[in-house]
Amino acid sequence: MKLTFKPSPNYRSSQTTTGIMFDLTVCLLAVTVFSVLYYGVNYGASYGLRVVIMMVSAVITSLIVDAIWAKIQKIDIKEGILSSYSWITAMILTLIIQIDVSPYALCVATVIAIVFGKLVFGGFGQNIFNPAAFGAAVIMSSFAATKSADFVTAATPTTTAAAYGWIMNTETFGSYVTQYGGLGKMLLGWYPSSLGSTSAVLIALCGVYLVWRKDIDWRLPVCYIGSVFLITTIIGLIKGAGLWYGVFNVLAGGVMLGGVFMVTDPVTNPVSIPGRIIFAVGCAALTVIIRLKANFPDGVLFSILLMNMMTPAIDKMFDGNQIKNAADFRNKTIICSALLALVSVLVGSTVQAKEVVPEPAAPAAVEGSLGSIDFSANNVEVTEVSNDGKTAVYSCSADGFGLMNNMGAEYGRNEVTVTVDVAKGSVVSVALDNFGDTAGIGDTATSDDALAGYAGKTLNDSVDTVAGATFTSGSVAAMVQAALEAAAK
Amino acid sequence: MSFLTGPMHHHLEGHKDLTAHKDVLILEEPDDLYIPLVNGRASCTPLVQPGDEVKVGTKLGEPVDHWYVPVFSPVSGTVVGVEKRMSAILKPTDHLHIKNDHKGTSVRAFEPFDYESATREEVLEFTKNAGMLGLGGAGFPTFMKYSKPENIDLFIINAVECEPYLTADYRNSMENASLMKAGALALLKLSTAPKGAIAVKEDKHDLIDVLNKTFAGTPIEVKTVKDIYPAGWERTLVYLLTGRRYDRLPAEAGCILNNVSTCIALGDAMINGKPITHKYVTVSGDGVKDPHNVYCPVGTPSATLIKACGGYTAEDCLLIAGGPMMGRAIPNEVFVIGPANNGLTVLQNKEYKTVKCLRCGRCTETCPSGLEPVRINQYEKIKDLDALKKLDIMSCIECGMCTYICPSNIDVTEGIRRAKRYLTLQAKK
Repeated sequence: MKLTFKPSPNYRSSQTTTGIMFDLTVCLLAVTVFSVLYYGVNYGASYGLRVVIMMVSAVITSLIVDAIWAKIQKIDIKEGILSSYSWITAMILTLIIQIDVSPYALCVATVIAIVFGKLVFGGFGQNIFNPAAFGAAVIMSSFAATKSADFVTAATPTTTAAAYGWIMNTETFGSYVTQYGGLGKMLLGWYPSSLGSTSAVLIALCGVYLVWRKDIDWRLPVCYIGSVFLITTIIGLIKGAGLWYGVFNVLAGGVMLGGVFMVTDPVTNPVSIPGRIIFAVGCAALTVIIRLKANFPDGVLFSILLMNMMTPAIDKMFDGNQIKNAADFRNKTIICSALLALVSVLVGSTVQAKEVVPEPAAPAAVEGSLGSIDFSANNVEVTEVSNDGKTAVYSCSADGFGLMNNMGAEYGRNEVTVTVDVAKGSVVSVALDNFGDTAGIGDTATSDDALAGYAGKTLNDSVDTVAGATFTSGSVAAMVQAALEAAAK
Repeated sequence: MSFLTGPMHHHLEGHKDLTAHKDVLILEEPDDLYIPLVNGRASCTPLVQPGDEVKVGTKLGEPVDHWYVPVFSPVSGTVVGVEKRMSAILKPTDHLHIKNDHKGTSVRAFEPFDYESATREEVLEFTKNAGMLGLGGAGFPTFMKYSKPENIDLFIINAVECEPYLTADYRNSMENASLMKAGALALLKLSTAPKGAIAVKEDKHDLIDVLNKTFAGTPIEVKTVKDIYPAGWERTLVYLLTGRRYDRLPAEAGCILNNVSTCIALGDAMINGKPITHKYVTVSGDGVKDPHNVYCPVGTPSATLIKACGGYTAEDCLLIAGGPMMGRAIPNEVFVIGPANNGLTVLQNKEYKTVKCLRCGRCTETCPSGLEPVRINQYEKIKDLDALKKLDIMSCIECGMCTYICPSNIDVTEGIRRAKRYLTLQAKK
């Protein structure tokens, strides 16, 4: 019989750090599964598989790095891996990047994130920066050129919103948001963005679960997401954008994912509650500033990295007895949070809406012999006016720049009359009947000189296009091709 | 306020069902008793010589200084002598060894006392002579607490018993409600407060019923508190009942507090003329075979109590004087039950895997003193004196919450103790 001495208390809660990490892993897996489903269903199995490959390679890389580090530190490898929790970093990192990042770049970034973002500081619990955000910053700054052209998705909400200058009036927003299926669909997350950041509903559920399990402090996601909402709503009201603006800013980009999984990283945020509130509000203020005013498509990662740098100072600010200093700490919290939000609103309210000229659809390349070019996009119509066996006259019409790009009601079809020498199968003349494209730009392709250039051309000849008026040139060439083909029948 | 400070308390799994509803085990009085000659904080000079015959109720010792708490004999028998024994605070202390003759002959320690007709001063004098002291664990002499009450508007009886496993106060209250009423009303008179409140955890429904009946028609009201730790700590309890905070003593918040066992002991002294010679002691935990509340004389060695409860369940156990949160693990069985002890917790010795601190701040949220245990531990490691002073570490009562809550299983409380010792050492230099 042995009686042991241990300092009191000799009673422990059942919650363990490993348990917290297990809960996090489960939530991150749920987000990953959603991502695999979205890309698999919308873009095909190869896209779904790509997500799996990225996740698996990042996690395996993190385990290898931990194992090697444990070997160097001369500690048990299993122990090293299980007390470093680096797979969480790898999972979050994978979920905050886009599908076109190569797995190779992801693995390198994972190594850098874990070694230089975490292990060199002394490992788990000692790091200054959120390692996943650190790794994503490495990818953004060093691997922009390795993006794979094989995995192309539609543009993400943040990139397209940046093209609009991050501010739109309600009508423009209405047509803008339809490409993502409206705010409702954005809430569900059925649109392209970084791998795991889309489903606000799923991420919110994960957040509720983690709060219920007391794995994260509910104040952090609530203050962060709430502040982003408040700040952008005020900016939206100032700029006359409407109430949807705040909702959109919360749903777009990494605000939800960052708010639940990254801002809450206990290692890199302050330990005192007032400190955490300032940390969350600061992240929100910087997210909005970077998003609206900087060149990056989203501000979540860099706002977290910047506020990570402030953590020691914030901790110092709230050292002391939380009860005896309650009034002082409350005032500090209110003043700091209000200032941060105010600066963000002021900076954010200087955004200017940009006129978005939709990128023109590419005209058919007018290269090679006239008969070999695919002009199907021009919707050519041909009517035979006369044909005496020698000479045939065709009245033709085709879409040009205006109709192919939906430029508006003032645009119409281009119409020409083509006279063909039936025996030779060559053009005699081309005459303009109606011009439906941009005056001053497209009409250089329908000038008398330009039309005279078609004389004598057969389907085997190549034709010239007029620089600066490629759409109209293509439109004319398409009609000539159609007339020659009709004559050859 | 808790938005900025956190809850500053936490619900603990109490394991109270192990003992709460079992009958109290009346211990067969042991042959040898060792009465600690330290009562509360004051050491006593023995009034008896080796070889003297003593009876139940004989005054054995009297303190030398103004911390006046006399000690009375719980049994009849022969005084063997004064021995140094390891006490529950892990210091060798003088104990008076009495050989029990099992005759149980008794002498009135003092005459029964009618608090209703007596003046406040007479009640105070009786409390002093009867050796009343705070039975919640602190052992503060009761008469000193009530010597000069000023601006007290609420007298609080603490029946919360927030330590896990312990149910001694609960059993005692259930069985001695009339003594409790007398003691409580006498203390209410001493406190000069116009009204009183008895605080009890909201989940103890049967006790609440008993208390409601007992205190019906008196100025003492039954107040329930949530099942949280440390609801029974003075500061937390005053805050829960009144919303007030104070700097040093509860009197600053207009409150005066006493443990419910103290009320019962005072009632017993006034009505039956009995000093504090016997205790309800909870012997519980997963390390003891048959957990029970035991009624035993003061001076019973802990080994006797463990034996009465069936012995240990494992080869390696922690024997804790008190509850598992604030009680000390004592690496021997020789220490005896003193007047202020109300529990022995026996736990199987489990190893907890410690990992690195993840700075989750749970210790900061739950600290009832509003401290930042994680920061204190960080600064203790680098011995940053100024930072430690700023962190107000002397407000720590070592309630153990930070170690309990720590998901990394770090001995956070022990780090704070180190910091306190370091600070005390530096202050002496």
